[in-house]
Amino acid sequence: MGGRGPADDVAARSHRALRAIRRELDRNPIVTSARGFPPDAHATVEADIDADRVEGAVGDATLTVRWYDGELSGRPEFSVHYSDDAGADFGWHHEPNPHVEGWGHYQERPDASAAYDYEPYSFATLVPSQVVWEVAARLRERLAERG
Amino acid sequence: MAESDPGVEAWVEHTSAFDRVRSVAGALSEPRPASWIAAEAAVSENTARGHLDRLVELNVLVEVGGEGATRYAPDPLHARLATLRELVAEHDHDGLVALKADLQTEIEEWRAAYGVDSPTELRERAAEADSAAETTEIRRTASDWELVTYRLGIVDDAIENYAAYTRDGTAPA
Repeated sequence: MGGRGPADDVAARSHRALRAIRRELDRNPIVTSARGFPPDAHATVEADIDADRVEGAVGDATLTVRWYDGELSGRPEFSVHYSDDAGADFGWHHEPNPHVEGWGHYQERPDASAAYDYEPYSFATLVPSQVVWEVAARLRERLAERG
Repeated sequence: MAESDPGVEAWVEHTSAFDRVRSVAGALSEPRPASWIAAEAAVSENTARGHLDRLVELNVLVEVGGEGATRYAPDPLHARLATLRELVAEHDHDGLVALKADLQTEIEEWRAAYGVDSPTELRERAAEADSAAETTEIRRTASDWELVTYRLGIVDDAIENYAAYTRDGTAPA
């Protein structure tokens, strides 16, 4: 039970994490609706952000969450990425990358043709339910700064 | 975790203690004792213990024996059944067949794009990639592929047993 199992178990664990994430997104007041199995990206959870309630959010604002509870115990790979109609494209990621020391980072690009800028970010938690609330809080701060 | 961590105050404001215990415990990647779950869910250990016992009774969690304190883990069957319930509530039979086709298309596209037959094979490619960006992209696709394959299995189950799962007449015809 405590061991790290084969790929099927990895997928089942990741699936459970994504279910918890979807539920927490639905509970967050900045989210109007959250979807598992979204069209064209069936491995993610997508949430619509209420642009009327969040300063700096524009038009169709969405959060896309990936979660992979994979190869290394206690080190899930995940990303919570924001985009909207004003071209905002940024997110908080926890995955191997060549840009910063360690896995946690924030990445943003000014437009779709530009490269991302990266800076280190240290997550207060790696528990999926709580990561959602942490990033929602950071998102509000970041959008208000941009706004 | 501390109350002062970002977002925790809002989490506590908008959810019940039971919700948080269920949410943390239902997504554990390895068995954990009540004290650990309580700290992550921002509840007292006694409160967590009561909720965890109920969640075991409801088959959401299982108790894992061994040395020391009782540890809890998600019941693997529970999340699968809950997903089935949502699938047949949200889609009729044709909708499920269309969803299955979408999932298969996504997998076919990965198969064609990378010229491999499985996410495991794809993961092996990650080490040979030309750039770090490509490695990241390949690893991400392999993870998505594993997850979509798992979800495809549940959708298949929903389609095959659609009549049985919807016999109570609450699902759309």
